[in-house]
Amino acid sequence: MLEAINLSKTYTGEGVDYHVLRNINLIIDEGECAAIIGKSGSGKSTLMHLLACLDTPSAGSIMFDGEDLSTLTERQRDLLRNEKIGFVFQQFFLNGRETVFENVVLPMRIRGAEQYRLTKDAMEALEAVGIKDKEEKRAKDLSGGEKQRVCIARALVGKPKIIFADEPTGNLDSNTSAEIEKVLFELNRETGITLIIVTHDPDLAGKCPRIIELKDGEVIRDEKREINL
Amino acid sequence: MKFWELAKIANRNLLRSKLRTFLTVMAIFVGSFTLTLTNGLGDGLRDYVENQVKNIEGKDILFIRKKFVEPESETKPDEPAEYKEATQDEAGNTIDPNSYLVPLGQAENLSKGLTDVKTITPRYPIDGEYITLDGTKKYQVGLGTLSEGMTQKVETGKTIDGTGQIILPLSLAKAFDENINALVGKNVTIGYKVEQPSAMKTETLKIVGVATKGFLANFNSFIDTQTARKIYDEQQGKSGNYNKFDSFTLQLKSGADEKAVEALKTKLEEKGFSADSYADRQKRTYDGIGILQIGLNFFAFIALLAASFGIVNTLVIAVLERTKEIGLQKALGMGRGKVFMLFSIESVLIGFWGAMSGIVSAIFVGVITNIFLARTYLESFEGYSLFVFTFKSIVFVLVLVCAIAFLAGVLPAFRASRLNPIEALRYE
Repeated sequence: MLEAINLSKTYTGEGVDYHVLRNINLIIDEGECAAIIGKSGSGKSTLMHLLACLDTPSAGSIMFDGEDLSTLTERQRDLLRNEKIGFVFQQFFLNGRETVFENVVLPMRIRGAEQYRLTKDAMEALEAVGIKDKEEKRAKDLSGGEKQRVCIARALVGKPKIIFADEPTGNLDSNTSAEIEKVLFELNRETGITLIIVTHDPDLAGKCPRIIELKDGEVIRDEKREINL
Repeated sequence: MKFWELAKIANRNLLRSKLRTFLTVMAIFVGSFTLTLTNGLGDGLRDYVENQVKNIEGKDILFIRKKFVEPESETKPDEPAEYKEATQDEAGNTIDPNSYLVPLGQAENLSKGLTDVKTITPRYPIDGEYITLDGTKKYQVGLGTLSEGMTQKVETGKTIDGTGQIILPLSLAKAFDENINALVGKNVTIGYKVEQPSAMKTETLKIVGVATKGFLANFNSFIDTQTARKIYDEQQGKSGNYNKFDSFTLQLKSGADEKAVEALKTKLEEKGFSADSYADRQKRTYDGIGILQIGLNFFAFIALLAASFGIVNTLVIAVLERTKEIGLQKALGMGRGKVFMLFSIESVLIGFWGAMSGIVSAIFVGVITNIFLARTYLESFEGYSLFVFTFKSIVFVLVLVCAIAFLAGVLPAFRASRLNPIEALRYE
């Protein structure tokens, strides 16, 4: 599904090269649920941006679904993100003035989908995250947990192959966090969608079957284990 | 994303900060309002001139006068002129009449050697006193001559094509008979004064037509050249300047092409005459109006230019405010082109609403002003509207303002389209 080969990212500032990522090699299979963990500055966000086609590597390559990302044009990269990738962010990035429905269908609007498709897919996505009755509410009137559910619905609506969740519970209290985690893991298990969670929360990471730990831009741990729920 | 959806989103974005959008639109409004009115003023003038001349036609006609030679001045332009007592001749003229009057014979000689000339008719200065249909009820009359080759559009009847004929203005015709069709073929009598010995003479003429409303034809009755000649001879026969005229109408042989006309003009110039056609006269007037219109529009352009900076400002702020949103949209796969288009549509919408409100208000104000002026100051200028709004000029204003707005939006839209999604999402 997703493969990183000798991936490096280097920033050059004031004549000094700053190596954020060095020689990362990873293979993530379809349907996997992986946590990328590490302290801040370890390079985990940069790795996510590269894998999610938001950024380009300084060296190495990424194979996404059998396609080498470096061969794609900007337009093709835009399309790939729109069609195959879902994003869940820590700060939600919802448009508070708009309704839940409008927030959820944004990726479909960008894609240029027909209205009837939009409505159908949005209802499915909202049902999957358990807030079907909130579609007409303004996003700003929702609780934190509900907001993150809307974000997950927005990530789901375009039926992507993979969801990147960047600190999905970072802004939530522990009870709400647990609910959101449950939604995400259930999606992964029941629909087989690939899930990559970037977090520095060891509790959350501990619930993932695979943990990839970064330190100073290098993978220092990559283990898979059985999780019993 | 489809264009229509982008437009809807752009509209919603504008409505987010209503006051800011409103103020920006107001600036555009002022510019569009002014531009529509100044355009309307120019078109009103053009319309006026067109109305004035449209009923008289002369395709193969040139108007001829002696070229005016400036008397040599000894003073430089910035020096005060020395006073000289103006010398008057016995007729009371301060300018030598021979500087502009041309003897008929000289004018007629012009046509010799010029193959394209058919006739040369002087403009006879004639004065009529009254006109009457039944011999008892007399009306004042203004007499004009319809030179050879000219035609007058008529409501009924036909234009002059022979001797002893007259075309009446509509108002006069109606005074004679509400049913103007019945007038054609009837005879009217006009009275005119002659001097030495002082007497009132009359001439009976056949009504051949009633002129279509137009400015010159609103007051004047037109008679044929032979009749005009006869009256002229009786009125001016003993004057010192008899048979000298200040202008002539030259009729070209039909089918003379533009080249021949131009060649003829040059030849006449060489002989010390200026010649211009109907089209030339019209063009000169229109050019004058055009320059006036450009001058007026210039001020409106300045207002629009100032307003366009308002658009730039508004959108630059919007880009800053919506940095995260743009970052999200780009992360979710919205391409640069679409982001650029979204902001461009927003700026064009600001322009569009400003232009629409400006145009509508200007038309409203213009129409009210026209009605008011028609009842007061412009009563004597029948049919003249101060402001005329043509579809063409309205579309012109709309397109121009939208184009200016689009250009104003280019910089902010480009900035938005170039945002890096990662950095934009981190933006605080």
